[in-house]
Amino acid sequence: MATKKNPPARSEKNGLISVFRRGDIFTRLSFIIFGAANMAHKQIIKGTVYLVIEAAYIVYMAVGGVHNLIMLTTLGTRQQGMAFNEATGIVEMVQGDNSMLILLWGVVTCVLTFAMIALWIVQIYSGDLARRTEAEGKKPLTFVQDVRELFDSHIYRLLLAIPVAGLLVFTVMPLIYMILMAFTNYDQTHQPPGNLFTWVGLENFRALISSGADLSATFWPVLGWTIVWGFVATFSCYFGGMILAMIINSKGIRGKKIWRTIFVITMAIPSFISLLVVRTMLGDKGIINVLLQQLGFTSGALPFLTDVTWARCTVIIVNLWVGIPVTMLMVTGILMNIPDDLYESARIDGASPVMQFVKITFPYMWFITTPYLISNLIGNFNNFGVIYFLTGGAPSSLQYYKGAGKTDLLVTWLYKLTRDSKDFNLAATIGIVIFVISAAFSLYSYSRSKSMQEEESFQ
Amino acid sequence: MMKKAVIGLRQQYLPYALGFSALGIVGMFLPLASVGGKSVSVLSGVLAAFSGGSPFSWLLPAAAALAIASLALGIQNVFRPTVAGARIWVLAAALNAAAMTVLLFAGKSVVDGLGLLPGSFMVRNFGAGYWLMLAASFILLVLVMRAAKLNVGYIVLTILAIIWLFPILWIFLTALRKETGYYVGYFIPRGFTLDNFVNLFNNASVLPFGRWYVNTLIVAGCGCLINAAIILSVAFVLSRTRFKGRTTFMKILMIIGMFPGFMSMLAVYNILKGLGLNQSLLALIVVGAAGAAMGYHVCKGFFDTIPKALDEAATLDGASRWQIFTRITIPLSKPIAIYTLLTNFLGAWSDYIFPSMLFGDQQSNYTVAVGLYWMTDFRRIDSYYTQFAAGALVVALPIVILFICLQRFYVEGLSGSVKG
Repeated sequence: MATKKNPPARSEKNGLISVFRRGDIFTRLSFIIFGAANMAHKQIIKGTVYLVIEAAYIVYMAVGGVHNLIMLTTLGTRQQGMAFNEATGIVEMVQGDNSMLILLWGVVTCVLTFAMIALWIVQIYSGDLARRTEAEGKKPLTFVQDVRELFDSHIYRLLLAIPVAGLLVFTVMPLIYMILMAFTNYDQTHQPPGNLFTWVGLENFRALISSGADLSATFWPVLGWTIVWGFVATFSCYFGGMILAMIINSKGIRGKKIWRTIFVITMAIPSFISLLVVRTMLGDKGIINVLLQQLGFTSGALPFLTDVTWARCTVIIVNLWVGIPVTMLMVTGILMNIPDDLYESARIDGASPVMQFVKITFPYMWFITTPYLISNLIGNFNNFGVIYFLTGGAPSSLQYYKGAGKTDLLVTWLYKLTRDSKDFNLAATIGIVIFVISAAFSLYSYSRSKSMQEEESFQ
Repeated sequence: MMKKAVIGLRQQYLPYALGFSALGIVGMFLPLASVGGKSVSVLSGVLAAFSGGSPFSWLLPAAAALAIASLALGIQNVFRPTVAGARIWVLAAALNAAAMTVLLFAGKSVVDGLGLLPGSFMVRNFGAGYWLMLAASFILLVLVMRAAKLNVGYIVLTILAIIWLFPILWIFLTALRKETGYYVGYFIPRGFTLDNFVNLFNNASVLPFGRWYVNTLIVAGCGCLINAAIILSVAFVLSRTRFKGRTTFMKILMIIGMFPGFMSMLAVYNILKGLGLNQSLLALIVVGAAGAAMGYHVCKGFFDTIPKALDEAATLDGASRWQIFTRITIPLSKPIAIYTLLTNFLGAWSDYIFPSMLFGDQQSNYTVAVGLYWMTDFRRIDSYYTQFAAGALVVALPIVILFICLQRFYVEGLSGSVKG
């Protein structure tokens, strides 16, 4: 039963070249004609499917694919404009090239081509397997058996097919497209179909980092604030949540569940709602300012969201309101796992509650939650919601590139560049910068968790 | 002085508590507030309250009475300590602290209402007496609670709970407010009504909120089912089976996940346009499902903990992988399946970025997130603020109920993600 599923012995080398060498004429033929080996070895349906796909690809490449790839080198040369039409004798609009569509179709063609290369390899091995099975005197799997295998040993093909297709079409392809866009000049003044855009190499990165006067004057401060925000937001919520969880979990507090639920309510409300509500409360005429003045705390409206320093503090404090319950909930589970006898012996030794926290609770938490903290940090660098819904990046600054504000993070700036000013090349460049930052922190986290796995356990 | 120890009390705190109680009384003889050189004491405030004023002016006599009462209880407790006596003292001290705190916020109404001082009162006009009483009342409360072996955490929790619930209370009150408009100069509405909710779903209204709500329900409902199916299958395959390219696949997913998700919105938009899906709700579901696979981590972490022996036993009995997946793994993973459904529902329910990009000005297809954001634009906020509040409640309520019911699963998933 179990032996049936084993593939033929793998004593031979398994590279493409050795497959070519040891194969029969059909195996070699399958290097050019998809499915040839399968068809020759009684896997007619499978072979036909491979062949049909190849034919479809060739037809596609002939009709438009090759053209798409060629156009990709220039991104179009004919600009839309007015031209005299001799036949009709009037000046009329001439459709030019649409650089954006050229780029998009170029990417689609490239991805299709890579998919074909993958299929090419798959069908060569499949054909070779069929040949070897037959050489051993067994019958190669029929199509029906192949389908049945999809539910058993090849279940990964069945279950991953849709997710991978979805990722390819709606994530990978768009991502490649946008990454390429970082190397073009697709900005406000080069909008298709009216205008063409073209490759500019690393020009966007250079402009962002140093040469673009207002651009680099925006980029560095925004990057700085993003990093400050990330750290402050992460650690304030972390410690706040930990303290809250410890208070709720401490002995002698009754109705733990009710207290927890009170804070969880704020977490359950979709954050865009609570943030929008809080924003309306903090406005110049919002209820907080109204109450502060009425109750005699201040004589004028406080600039919660309009002054740079105030706004930055406000987003951090409001983020506490949003983030502390999440950490509280997470920490609660971990706190309960700390062995009670650790505290017991600490108490006997006369350790104060503060000492217990410093020596027992905190090291334990820190040890367990480091990966969470780092992913949380990356999440906060990209915390679109809090900034966008609370301040929308305001207050804006004249020194900044159009539209960007003093509380803008890199992500919200990216969003504004895409949506409002349509500087897609800059947006793509910033996206790549964000990727680099996230990747750096993830790598650090990854190497740390590796070293942590090697450690025996928490001491 | 100290007699035999009483069980259930920490008697060493009692004398200190008494001291701070006395300090509070001292504060009553210091100036309560002063404006422009003229100052009033607590005593004159109390006397003025008896001769009339707003209901708020009774706060001052109440605070003073509580301070005196807690001094009396303190003397009683120091000389004859009992658990019950200490509990009553805690109650008095807590009420005293609460009254002093409310006085901080009501100071203006009290002082101006009684006409005690010329000119307008501000909080900074409170004098040494008030601050001493406030500080003493809180220190007293802490000390008495320690003495009575009650957890001081209650004080912190109460204050935090008030802060946390304040915006929620405000949105409740606004949703029920009769007077429309963004700016009102008071906290509690003059009139209450349910019209805001009725208007929201009224067909005659300019806002197709009912439509938005149904849109969101469709997207979140279908989305969470499809996404959960995808996540469970991907997690199963990555956790329970081994195949060529498995780790490569996981690494690729990790790398893709590091790009900001909406960076490629423009391209997605164009692809959807090419497929003829732009401006339709189906697009939201499809795009959500397409990216769902990247959220497999928590689920995989859970599957990893299910013993491999179960699978092996099932294989020996002739079960296929598909049968293992549907008959063994899924039934064993109820908590994580619910967690996945819940988070995906929440995600789709409150997604703003992509719908806002996709639908632009096409209002009939908005989801609630886009619609509510649209309502808070500064050009519209004045006319729609109360309806916005009602809408926010209608949107948040089902989620809150769902969340509180399924909290257990959420915590399990969350702690699973920590180990990640």
